[in-house]
Amino acid sequence: MKNFQHIVLFSFFFFFSSVVSQVSAATPDPTEQLKPVVDKVITLLKDRNFRQRSVVEQSEVIVKLVSERFDFYEMSKRVLGKQWRTLNSEQREQFVGLFTKLLQYVYIGQVDDYIYKKIKFSGQRIRRDRAEVKSLLIDGDKSIPVSYIMILRKDQWMAYDIVVEGVSLIMNYRNQIGTVLRDENFPGLIAMLKKKISKLEAGEKDE
Amino acid sequence: MRKMFRIFLVSLFFWGNCSLLYAADGEVDFLDDAFYDDISKENAVNDPFEGINRVIFAFNDYAFTWILNPVATGYSYLLPADIRGAVENFFYNMQEPIRAANSLLQARFADAGTLLVRFTINTFGGVGGLGDPAVELGFPRKEATFCQTLNTWGVPDGIFLMVPIMGPTTLRDVSGKLVDSFAVTPLYYTWAAGWEESVSIYMGKEVNHLSLHLGEYETMKEMSVDSYAAVRDGFYQYRRKYWESSGNDNADDTGDVHDEYVAPPSAHSFY
Repeated sequence: MKNFQHIVLFSFFFFFSSVVSQVSAATPDPTEQLKPVVDKVITLLKDRNFRQRSVVEQSEVIVKLVSERFDFYEMSKRVLGKQWRTLNSEQREQFVGLFTKLLQYVYIGQVDDYIYKKIKFSGQRIRRDRAEVKSLLIDGDKSIPVSYIMILRKDQWMAYDIVVEGVSLIMNYRNQIGTVLRDENFPGLIAMLKKKISKLEAGEKDE
Repeated sequence: MRKMFRIFLVSLFFWGNCSLLYAADGEVDFLDDAFYDDISKENAVNDPFEGINRVIFAFNDYAFTWILNPVATGYSYLLPADIRGAVENFFYNMQEPIRAANSLLQARFADAGTLLVRFTINTFGGVGGLGDPAVELGFPRKEATFCQTLNTWGVPDGIFLMVPIMGPTTLRDVSGKLVDSFAVTPLYYTWAAGWEESVSIYMGKEVNHLSLHLGEYETMKEMSVDSYAAVRDGFYQYRRKYWESSGNDNADDTGDVHDEYVAPPSAHSFY
């Protein structure tokens, strides 16, 4: 009898725990997944030894870290919009590679401005497989709202857009790339991206 | 004729940040894929004069990089940030009655009351508007411009324009700005003894504002592949967000983001 009780208890426990784990597997917390990556990047960028390496080396390390939580493929796809469908897989790959690089260098170039500001995660909202993680970049008495827009892939939330003060980064690039593609064709865009990247790699500023 | 010219110059001095305050009509939800899928008709950019706008943009870029920015940088070394903030507040406070009038025209009666109370508190308690004690007393900043009024009345946005020195705007916004700045001019223009003084006050205001936003423009330029398109899109997106957060207060209680004061960038942060 006692054995039977044990079995019932155990199976209850088992059942319950599996339900709990299923629920949490269905909707993992996006902020909890994002925060460690952001923290790691900030710590790394504050490290003087690391910052003395070349821009290319720095960005390689950072991109490895950030790829855990940021979906560069999805970003590139959204940046091109309708144009994406007209490209073949080779062109897509080329564009994703270059656009990812551009974002990295931009990120590293700008990061000095804000690593000493405080980042406060201020809330999130989830709708089905999409989430917005809200944060505030605090600098003295000013605070700038920064949102990460994420998509759920299996049990991993992946960011595909950053919205700063209401301005979507991806939409902004999409408009820029739209005008470049209108005035020049796809190879023109690729050439332009390459030029921009080699400038950033050399650490040059725009004249 | 001279008098008209003088009035015009003084009115420039009160030229607000109107362009950024009211928005294209489509609401935006970033969690919605439709936002990324297609640029809807109402959010599409109407820019028939892109060619000439780009020329003006190049001129503004030159003026910014070689004149305004170095002056503002020097100025920021001379004066500490809190004094520059006080100067910004002073100019902001002077336009408060116009905001109240616009709130009435938009049937936002509670906001009109708040704005008048703010003007009274800040003028008398904030030493002529140098400080902003009204915020601490529970009267937050509200934006209400003639551009918003025109939008409320259903005037369409019109074409996108790049104005020398002033930066990006639209046809309706530029008209709204003119109305706002002329409305305030008769009250204050007797201050300036001559046009030279008016121009210096205006440039002083701009340089002061820029000194609080140094580096923003360079950041934007470095990030972009087409800086004109980046500015144009940034202008529309930012304006929409700013209008959403100043127009309807009870729409979103979850984010305290809306209650924070987001410094409205002047044209410079975006041109």
